[in-house]
This record gives sequence, C-alpha cells and structure tokens, in this order.
Amino acid sequence: MKKSGILHNVRIVLWALVAVAAVAATYFTVVPRERSLDQGVAFYSTPFKLTNHDGAEVTQSDFLGKPSAWFYGFTQCPEVCPTTLAEMSQLLDALGPDADKLNVVFVSVDPERDTVEVMKDYVAYFDQRIVGVTGELEAVSAMATARYVYFEKIPLDGGDYTMEHSANVQLADADGYFFGTLDGEEPVETRLAKLRRLIE
Amino acid sequence: MKRLLAILAIAMASPLAAGAHDFTSGTMYIDHPMIQEAPPGARVLGGYVTLHNQGAEDDRLVGIETPAAEKVELHRSTVTDGIARMQPMTDGLPLPAGEIVWLGDNGTHAMFVQPDKRYAAGDELPATLIFEKAGRIDITFKVEERSTDLAPGHGEHPQ
Repeated sequence: MKKSGILHNVRIVLWALVAVAAVAATYFTVVPRERSLDQGVAFYSTPFKLTNHDGAEVTQSDFLGKPSAWFYGFTQCPEVCPTTLAEMSQLLDALGPDADKLNVVFVSVDPERDTVEVMKDYVAYFDQRIVGVTGELEAVSAMATARYVYFEKIPLDGGDYTMEHSANVQLADADGYFFGTLDGEEPVETRLAKLRRLIE
Repeated sequence: MKRLLAILAIAMASPLAAGAHDFTSGTMYIDHPMIQEAPPGARVLGGYVTLHNQGAEDDRLVGIETPAAEKVELHRSTVTDGIARMQPMTDGLPLPAGEIVWLGDNGTHAMFVQPDKRYAAGDELPATLIFEKAGRIDITFKVEERSTDLAPGHGEHPQ
C-alpha cells in the first residue's frame, strides 16, 4: 500500500517533468530566436558623443537601426588605413544598391591631428558613403574600450609619433551587437560574403 | 623565325616598359621608383622602389632625401595578431650583392612626411637615394594611382 503510494508520487513527478520538457521544447523550437544566447552585451550601442566629418555631433543612435562596419585608424598612416578604406569602397561597390543597408564608419584614433577638416577631405577621397568620425581623445578612448578596440600612441625620433591600432574592420548588427570582423588577409570574396550575411 | 621571336619579345615587353622608368649608377640598378597617390589632407606619402645591387659587395639603402617633403623615413608596416604597427628601419634596407630587393616587400616603404603640396597621379618628385657604398644617386619618383595590393596583410604581394 505504502509502496504504491510512493510509485504514484514518482509517476506524478515524472509526468510533471515530461510536461516541463514539452513546454521547453515548444518554446525553444516554436518561439523564433533572434540571436544566440551567448551573444552578450550590445557593445556597439554603448553611448558616445563624437563629431562627424561635417562637424556635426554624432552619437551611438546615429549608427543603430542599420548594420554597420567600423574601422579605427588615422590619416597619417601610409599603408594599412588607406588600403582598408579603398577596399571598403570596393566592397560597397560590389554590394550595389544593397550598400545603402550598411553604415561604414572610419573612426580616427589620432583625433589630436585628425581634425574635422582633415577627416572630411580624407574620407571623401575614398568614398562619399564612408562617415569619418573624430572628437575628444577621451571620448574616442572610451569608445575603443567599450568595443574592445586597441590603439596606442608610439613616440618616434624627433618628437613625432605614430599609432598602433586594431587592423580589422568590426561589424555590428542593427541593434549594436558585435557581428564579426573583416580581416585584410582574407579574400575579398570572403569579406563580401560576410557583409551580405550582415545586411540580409 | 628569329626575327618573329624578336618582334614577339619586344611586343611582350613593351606594356611593362611603357609605365616603368629606371636609373643606373655604377653597379646599382634602380627600377620604377613610385609613390602612391594619397588622399587630400594626408600628410604622408608612401614610396616604393626596386633595387638591384649588381656589384660584388653587399650594400644598404640608408636614407632618402627630397626637397619636396620635410623628411623621408624608411619604415616597415606590419599587421601582427590583428594589430597594425609601423617601425622605423633604423638599419636601413640591406641590399645583398647580386640580389633584387623591393622596397615595398613585407610592408617596407619610404614615408615622405609633410609633402610641400598635394601630389596626384602623374606628378613627379625629385629625390636622392643614399647608399652606404654606392653613395648618393638622384632619381625621380612618379606618383601613381592608388592600388590596394601594397599594404601588409592585404591580398597578394607583388614579388
């Protein structure tokens, strides 16, 4: 008698577990999931206040609502930065009309030398669709920290300096979630495929 | 047949010869010194040149001078672990005897700092290459349209 009572209880618990499993299975399969659970913080929506190449104030919200591609460099960079920007322009051309679905932003990590005027001429040379962003050094540093972007001033002989900086292009989705990177060493076709996936 | 081959050889060589220019001084052969057109406002220009030390002794490119810029530095750009860096080539560019060396390989370049004006494709810059043994050789850098295959870690490098 007592034994069957225990069995009865066990049965109830087991059926309860089946019910929980069924609800969970339905939830995980039927409810559409926007992104994987481990995507973490939307660090591209971290607030900032900087200046675009037309001298207007820009904040994080100006670059949300659409996916975006970000490059962090400086204008006195003879090779890596101009090459990356020229390649971004080629990629935008390759996207055709879909290029409108993407924000492309060049952030100066040398805002002390890269004034609004310098940025305007520099960015326009590569592509009118690229937005140049500069501002206070502290604001640029805070943005870089929030986005896991590295840059550092390296003194040269004669009082001059150069910049070390992250060389990849970072991608973010419309909500500010990190989406991946474009690497200068990967084939252009790979980078184009990543951009297509980003704006899909 | 021989004549046909000769014509073919000339025909095949001419597209290369059309844009190239070269200089020879003693045993130093200097081919195609060029500068990549830079965006307006850019205060640096990247210069490249092929050097063939045809002598029996090792030599070294130790510097470049030009009246058209504040100074010229020999640098190497690298992308390592995702970080772009630039280092001065303090010992210059080694030119072993008999070898052809391209200033441009592995991210090496001449950085023209603060050019006196905006240089666009088709412009020329006078410069003097300074070698440890071959001495000073006056040449001309030609400004060419920007190409995307020169930077380190970007596509194929011309060999």
